Amino acid sequence: MTALYRTRARRRLLVAAGAVSVLVLWADATVSWFIAPSDTAVLVNFVLLLVMLAFFVPAVTALNIATRGLASLPERRLDERQVAERLRAFTQANIAMRLILGAVLVAIVAATWEGGPAVRVPGAAVFLGVMALLWTHYLLPLLVAGWRLPDPPPDDPGDDQESPNEGSVAT
Amino acid sequence: MAEETVYNRIAVLRADRGVSRRDLAAALGVHYQTVGYLERGEYSPSLHLALRIAEFFEVPVEVVFSLRPFPRLGSPS
Repeated sequence: MTALYRTRARRRLLVAAGAVSVLVLWADATVSWFIAPSDTAVLVNFVLLLVMLAFFVPAVTALNIATRGLASLPERRLDERQVAERLRAFTQANIAMRLILGAVLVAIVAATWEGGPAVRVPGAAVFLGVMALLWTHYLLPLLVAGWRLPDPPPDDPGDDQESPNEGSVAT
Repeated sequence: MAEETVYNRIAVLRADRGVSRRDLAAALGVHYQTVGYLERGEYSPSLHLALRIAEFFEVPVEVVFSLRPFPRLGSPS
């Protein structure tokens, strides 16, 4: 499992997999908009949910381990560096979420513009759209934290050959 | 915000006292990787943590942290 998130490049691949799981849910809502209610919609919905879980479970599990629960643990279980990093992750996720909400609003207005008030939206699409929004909101801080995470210092102090005996911090 | 650089000698003090990262982290109540990030200069501690680090090594805080690079061992000054 450690090999999955050892390097920054691998962690960013995990973030991409997490993002795919969210995108699949959005795709599910979009597909339901056009074909629900129907048997095909149920089948497509089932398949896409399975695909979503196939990406979500390993990616989120590995990211939670890599970030050491940064996005999910209560604050009292984190030290000041972790709390500061979590605040940065939540702030950036919040900005991203605002952009997503704006894009969703524009997409809905564009899709219903011609039909006006007579447009009917399938309940399944509304439900899956709300689920996708909640899922995105829930997952974004973890994805941002995983994306930002630097490589951890080597465990063995004797391996730390590169740094001289002083460190410097740029803030 | 202008870049503010804080230099520290945590690694040198830790090696001098024979304290492992994990022991120092346990004494400070932080994750052991946080000590590593401090030593690598990738995290700037709060004033409270800086004072606790100095207290742990029983030295004044300016012995551990400085706004200017510390002279290398063996160099003049």
